[in-house]
Amino acid sequence: MKLRVLGGSIFLSFAALHCTGAGAADVVAVVSAKSRVTALNSDQVADIFLGKTSHFPDGTQATPVDQSEDSPARERFYAQFTGKSPAQVKAYWSKMIFTGRGQPPRQVPSSTDAKKFVAQNPNAIGYIDASQVDDSVRVVDGR
Amino acid sequence: MRTRLSLSAIAAVLLAGALPPAARADDPSMFSFSGYGTVGAAHSSNSGADYLVDEFKPSGPGHTHAWSWDVDSRLGAQLAFVPTPRVSAVVQVISQQRYNGSYEPVVEWANVKFQATQDLAVRAGRIVLPIYMVTDSRRVGYANPWVRPPVEVYSLVPVTSVDGIDANYRMTFGNVVGTLQASYAQSDSHFPNASGFDPGTAKARHIVAVVGTLERGFATLRANYGRADLTIASFGPLFDAFRQFGPAGADIADRFGVDHRKVDFVGVGATYDPGRWFVTGEWARFDTHSVLGAKSAWYVSGGHRFGAWTPYLTYAREKLDSETSVAGVSLQGLPPQAAGTAAFLNQTLNGLLGLVPQQHTISAGVRWDFMRNAALKVQLDDVHVDANSRGTFGNFQPGFAPGSTARILSAVVDFVF
Repeated sequence: MKLRVLGGSIFLSFAALHCTGAGAADVVAVVSAKSRVTALNSDQVADIFLGKTSHFPDGTQATPVDQSEDSPARERFYAQFTGKSPAQVKAYWSKMIFTGRGQPPRQVPSSTDAKKFVAQNPNAIGYIDASQVDDSVRVVDGR
Repeated sequence: MRTRLSLSAIAAVLLAGALPPAARADDPSMFSFSGYGTVGAAHSSNSGADYLVDEFKPSGPGHTHAWSWDVDSRLGAQLAFVPTPRVSAVVQVISQQRYNGSYEPVVEWANVKFQATQDLAVRAGRIVLPIYMVTDSRRVGYANPWVRPPVEVYSLVPVTSVDGIDANYRMTFGNVVGTLQASYAQSDSHFPNASGFDPGTAKARHIVAVVGTLERGFATLRANYGRADLTIASFGPLFDAFRQFGPAGADIADRFGVDHRKVDFVGVGATYDPGRWFVTGEWARFDTHSVLGAKSAWYVSGGHRFGAWTPYLTYAREKLDSETSVAGVSLQGLPPQAAGTAAFLNQTLNGLLGLVPQQHTISAGVRWDFMRNAALKVQLDDVHVDANSRGTFGNFQPGFAPGSTARILSAVVDFVF
């Protein structure tokens, strides 16, 4: 009985998973137009946001800027670049924080704030809705 | 000393709690406060003994309690202080059931980290002994898929935090990130008397541990080696008594005593986690070259994520690679009283050798991420103890025989804040 209820919920969550996401706008990783970084693949972007490296491949300091957990762009970014759900990202950071290996990136509320922060900081890297890209930032994700 | 240290750490943590929470882009605070915890209960179908998830537990579900809140429930709080990008300090205090049954908070971490270069960091203070894949986050239920890391492997070496220094070096080879960590430390661990023999305090000195990891994409590989000089003073009288029985007795004391014994540990592990599913496994061997035996254990575990639900399965096995009984000193030709003493010593030694757990467990469970900072997990463990062992159990009652089985049902809520 209990098992059947559980099975039902699993099926429903699975169905829900496959119905969402389609048609949502793309999220792109961006650096400042003043940055020397021109291209990063999605693994390199993921490593910076997951605190696995604190530098761009050319050796310059990388300052990732995250969006708050309420921002819709955030969930899409982590799904796209790391394959992780919001809960998995949270679990990942609990591991990092409570082992003294690092703290999550600083946060801003929205794509608009992320773009503003990135545009002003040559070392910054952020992610924004593809529709918000302008000449203050440069898209770096080469896949 | 330890108490005073914990109290000041709690004071620091409470003080930090009064400060505004950290990390807005425009206001990067030097302090960040975070915490984790688990509330949960476990039930054992076998009331002939207590199921003990590690050697620090004085009691557990089974005989002492039908349902025990003490197995997994804990609260941890951490304060990180990052005054400059190069220097940081962290204090973590944890309250969970201790060897003496109390929940007195203990300082799990208290160290200062110096980032010497972008790839080399050095820490000093109380650090975690890095001997397993999830050693350093084994207490953080929220960070792990299971109710608790597989008991067979994670109870091999129960020590978690040690006092010393470590160095962490990161290397990048194309898409592969490698890390090399080396530690030098010592520890004093207090154990309860749940097995019928009171081990008291174990002193590990000159602990040297080396860990290498390779990460590429979704895959992580890990290998480590450690050694230490281990002394458990409470075994002293037993082996001193053996020494009174001539060369044969001295030989037994030399083979099984735990007085400045060189112990060593080897472990390997691998994880593949592309997001939708994961598979992970570890193998480890702890050779104490003493009465505590040479033990090895492994597990494989896998799960699939269906939205907020993650069902998982685990198989874990622990076995002894050394003998479970020895002939002891010969009673032949001894006067009656000495023969009686020798027989008692032989029996005690064999009793201790038989305490090493040998068992396998099949676990099935599900994690439900029901809200942003919390997860509910339910797990059923089917524990099969080997015919010549009493497994990871303690507080034995007359009905509990070697080769017993038990079903452990656990339900926990893990949270972080």
